[in-house]
Amino acid sequence: MNCTEFQELLPQEFEGGRTAEQELHLRSCPVCSGLVTDLELIASEARQLQEVADPSPRVWAAIEIALRQEGIIRDAQLGPSLVPGRPRRWSMAWLAPVAALVLVAFGIVIYQRGPADSRLSVKQDTQAPPALTKLQTEKKTSTANEDEQLLAAVASRSPAMQAQYASNLQNVNAYIKDAEESAQADPNDEEAQQIVMDAYEQRATVYEMALDRSLP
Amino acid sequence: MTDARKLQGDKLSEAEAIERAKQGDAEAFQLLYGLHKRRVYSLCLRMTANTAEAEDLTQEAFLQLFRKIATFRGESAFSTWLHRMAVNVVLMQLRKKSLPVVPLEETLENEEEAPKKELGAQDPVLSGSIDRLRLQRAVDALPPGYRRIFVLHDVEGYEHNEIAAMVGCSIGNSKSQLHKARMKLRESLKTSRAEKAAKP
Repeated sequence: MNCTEFQELLPQEFEGGRTAEQELHLRSCPVCSGLVTDLELIASEARQLQEVADPSPRVWAAIEIALRQEGIIRDAQLGPSLVPGRPRRWSMAWLAPVAALVLVAFGIVIYQRGPADSRLSVKQDTQAPPALTKLQTEKKTSTANEDEQLLAAVASRSPAMQAQYASNLQNVNAYIKDAEESAQADPNDEEAQQIVMDAYEQRATVYEMALDRSLP
Repeated sequence: MTDARKLQGDKLSEAEAIERAKQGDAEAFQLLYGLHKRRVYSLCLRMTANTAEAEDLTQEAFLQLFRKIATFRGESAFSTWLHRMAVNVVLMQLRKKSLPVVPLEETLENEEEAPKKELGAQDPVLSGSIDRLRLQRAVDALPPGYRRIFVLHDVEGYEHNEIAAMVGCSIGNSKSQLHKARMKLRESLKTSRAEKAAKP
């Protein structure tokens, strides 16, 4: 057997073992021997490539939104009735991604300012810091205004759903408050910070779903 | 501990998570996603060599899985079930992009994509180990048809008969494309090694 004959049989050789003739050629030919060694090395090293990376967080966010919209997730806080029945498009649909981004960014800003502010409140003991009070007031007002606008928009398109969305927003706002209190109790707790972010993402999800209701 | 902390703190086993996901539990879905996202995403990334596409396919694979989770009866391992579904999603997507498996006759004739052969010529060997990053780049640079078979066989561990059934080609075609993929990788790795050695 020569090199040409040996290498033409290589695609089959890996799978079924070698004949005596192939073995003889392999032992006597450094070129074919080197080739087989390399191909075996590539095949064995390829296993290292099995798990390389995590997908970005947006993948789960998109999956979760889709599962909620389809009613597959029946979360106690958000409820199955959020699934749109006969969706229609309205002019505010473009607000969905904007609202989501604003809410998440707002959550980050509020939380990042939280630890410094909470340290300040310890020093001043009996009196809440004016900056924190102002920030909290602004946040409450802003949240209430956003919720009112969303509920008004929902009511104008689907009055029957307004109460459901009001309840969902109330629940998710309570969840955010709860999460923020946990995080402020221990500003160094990374898990608590993540929960705050998750809570804001849930609120963003409610907004997206409310606005998506109008899509055809 | 607050309710929010409880939600994050209690970890479920996979079997419990599957049962709870069947009831529509959001936390259970998230746990299952967390357990398997890396394997599925890595498969998609290897097959497509494109992060945006791989993320879209990962999303689609998990959505299909979660839509059908009520039908999972536990006869096969959940990870096997999920993985097979991910492979099908990727293959379906590749078919939509008109990347048919090249028939064996064509692969034998198409020497543009096939590695150059100089049978019997002296040839430096890779010898030793292969840097994972260089191998990864070389796989990403493979023509899509070769990459698909190589990933399914050498990375994911499917047999030729399974690949033939999944991809819709003959076993001989699968073997042929795998061999050409390995030969091309060898050339690519030798070239990158030589380029690295030539640098001052």
